[in-house]
Amino acid sequence: MNTDNRRRIKDNIILSFFGIQLLMLLIILSYMVGILIIGGIHVISWKTVFTSMLKGGLFETIIGTFLLFSGTAILAAPIGLGAAIYLSEYASKNNKIARLIDQAINNLAGVPSIVTGLFGYTFFVKILGFGISLMSGWLTLTIMALPIIVRGSEEAIRMVPKEFRETAMALGATKWQAIKDNVLPTATPGIATSIILGIARIAGETAAILFTACALTMRGLPRTPFDPIISLTYYLFVILVTSPSTSQNKAYTAAIILLSLVFLLNLVAIVLRAHYRRKWRR
Amino acid sequence: MKTKKELKLNHRKMVKAERNVKILLFTAASTTIVFITLITLFIFMETIPVFLNENLRIKILFSQVWAPAYEKYGILPLIMGSIIVVAGALVISIPVGLCTAIYIAEEASESLKDVFKSAIEMFAAIPSVIYGFIGLVTLTPIVAKIFGLSSGKNAFSASIILAIMVLPTIMSLSSEIISSVPKEYREVSFALGASKWQTIKNVILPTAKPGILAAIILAFGRAIGETVAVLMVCGAAGSMPGFPFFFDAVFPMTAAIAMYMGEAPMGGELYHTLFFLGLILFIITSIVNTVADAILKKSKSATSGGIEI
Amino acid sequence: MKSKVETVDLNVWYGNLHVLKDVNIQIPERKVTAIIGPSGCGKTTFLKTLNRLIDLVDNARVEGEVKLDGKSIYNPGMDVIELRRKVGMVFQKPTPLPKSIYENVAYGPRIHGVNNKDELNVIVEESLRKVGLWDEVKDRLNDSAFALSLGQQQRLAIARALAVNPEVLLMDEPASALDPISVTRIEELIKELKKEYTIVIVTHNLQQAWRISNYTAFFYYGELIEYGPTEKIFKTPEKELTFNYVNGKFG
Repeated sequence: MNTDNRRRIKDNIILSFFGIQLLMLLIILSYMVGILIIGGIHVISWKTVFTSMLKGGLFETIIGTFLLFSGTAILAAPIGLGAAIYLSEYASKNNKIARLIDQAINNLAGVPSIVTGLFGYTFFVKILGFGISLMSGWLTLTIMALPIIVRGSEEAIRMVPKEFRETAMALGATKWQAIKDNVLPTATPGIATSIILGIARIAGETAAILFTACALTMRGLPRTPFDPIISLTYYLFVILVTSPSTSQNKAYTAAIILLSLVFLLNLVAIVLRAHYRRKWRR
Repeated sequence: MKTKKELKLNHRKMVKAERNVKILLFTAASTTIVFITLITLFIFMETIPVFLNENLRIKILFSQVWAPAYEKYGILPLIMGSIIVVAGALVISIPVGLCTAIYIAEEASESLKDVFKSAIEMFAAIPSVIYGFIGLVTLTPIVAKIFGLSSGKNAFSASIILAIMVLPTIMSLSSEIISSVPKEYREVSFALGASKWQTIKNVILPTAKPGILAAIILAFGRAIGETVAVLMVCGAAGSMPGFPFFFDAVFPMTAAIAMYMGEAPMGGELYHTLFFLGLILFIITSIVNTVADAILKKSKSATSGGIEI
Repeated sequence: MKSKVETVDLNVWYGNLHVLKDVNIQIPERKVTAIIGPSGCGKTTFLKTLNRLIDLVDNARVEGEVKLDGKSIYNPGMDVIELRRKVGMVFQKPTPLPKSIYENVAYGPRIHGVNNKDELNVIVEESLRKVGLWDEVKDRLNDSAFALSLGQQQRLAIARALAVNPEVLLMDEPASALDPISVTRIEELIKELKKEYTIVIVTHNLQQAWRISNYTAFFYYGELIEYGPTEKIFKTPEKELTFNYVNGKFG
């Protein structure tokens, strides 16, 4: 057996070992998620979804999650997009403030969600006096969604070829006109992807809203943004931590709804991103 | 035809509009600075009472019991809990993450690569509370059964769940870094007669080392900041973990904050103590991010060698 | 005169693209053979078939024979690792490995099993001397290879290839990225090296081919148009296409 063969066999053994780890990992993960889905698939019913919690349903939690991420999206998307446009179009790389902003975004991304929640509690809930409410939740979650939206939008905008701006401006358009009419429409899929990913992250968040937006007291649906809500995540958390053996059916239902929501959002984002990356592959 | 005066007015309007847009965008961008400053400020501010209150300081730093109901605020068990769980998670996720990343980057075909990367992204997207649910349903019963424990909620289970949660970070970052090693390095190595594994071990991995290190550091940051999933499977016991600590119930810092914030009267000792924990977490993750960033920046400049005469 | 490397009806496809067509060539031992022709006409591909680096290209298909010392190298039983030791390659970009100068040169011998420190020291010094780098770097062998100038890096790349004791040296435009002084040094080096090694060099610099090669092969879009002693190819070529190319009638 010559060295070539010997080495080829060694190569195969080592790389197969790695491949087996990957396979086992995927199997274990799929099994775990599968158990959840199987456990809940036969108890889920449209009735539960639309019944109020006072009557044993999950309606308020779904509305809560929805209100939470919609409001955050409305707040965070413009701010995030604006920041992204500023960073990629208006600020030169050497600008000290631009680098500071970049640093700030990186730092924000690294803050643990519970710490953001602590800040939200002390600042929005207590000091600004919004109380435990949708509003406090929106503001806290915006802090978490911003880095995702800014980074993703920045990438999408930077991918647009230089010529798009130069041609427009050579024809006499101002910088903003060039951006508004040429760059942004092209970058829209990428920007949309980042917003969707931001929403997906928010929809699954628990720690940050634990004491900023959620309360167990049942008062039905929130009537103003200053009312608290219950989200799918908060509901699951409370149920599983306080009463693990009872109400399992509702827990599975909530989990499946949450999982489906997050998976769907991520799937859309992945597909969108694959589509526009292929288009602009440099 | 517009008169010169009209054109001039128009031009002035446009310039003004441009400036307004720039100001608006700049404001949006600076909210990020505002937020991070506020967070830093308030976390510190709410912790200051701890430093000023001698009594509290002693209770926090020297007590080995965390039992707020009895006014025991020893954070040592909490810190130990975090350390044990994170260490356990990294021990599992670093080797597995690296091996699988190498496989994905070097061995998998182009189409499989995309499939794996998307799969990893999906698993990374699973909400923390669902991982906790999964842990309660699948992991803790098995752990209890296999090791003959009364409850599967302990450091061991928490480590495993945490490992699963940080694996996507290590895998996706590392595989990207490995893939970005220039293909010329591979060509040169193969042309000299090296085998695939020799090339990976002697050329590709050393080149990717800084990036992989950064990935590991980021994974550490993510692990130590994880709250809900570990809370659900850690056992939440406020005493110092004994030896061997893997089957003891533990109480990582994040879990403690989540559990007790709701019942901490504002301005009270518990309140400020929890903020102290938050401060520790904040400082650790800030350092983690700064270091990882620095490593990544440094490695980018190191591989662009070759000075012209 | 013995032919060191020979191809018989060599054809290469990249997917459906027919990149090399029916190439028949005998490359003589211990001489410099230049491969010339317009860009993108398969010259690099041709080189890669000689050390089976073409195996790494995903959708490449090779038909025909390539023989080293009379033995076909595409036989299933061929030890590719040994082949690549015997047939070394230097690329257009020097690509120093992210290691020290010493370790760059020692890398080849190491992967072939040489681990003895003394043996490696000898090999590294010998290889660096052969390319004229020894005096320049002997005091900083442990410095990063990136600290060298581009010209030095390329000579390092050649030393790296020589360290495994090859018999053939394939060079793909080794001097095209260098400044004129470095180019001259590399050309001088090649003229020295041909005493020991068979050299096949791809170049788009016709003057270079004229200066350093004994034989020249003119490739045009995957076909070997003409092959012969350099003087003949440049002064009295048989084909009109060759004549036009060497006289600069097209790029």
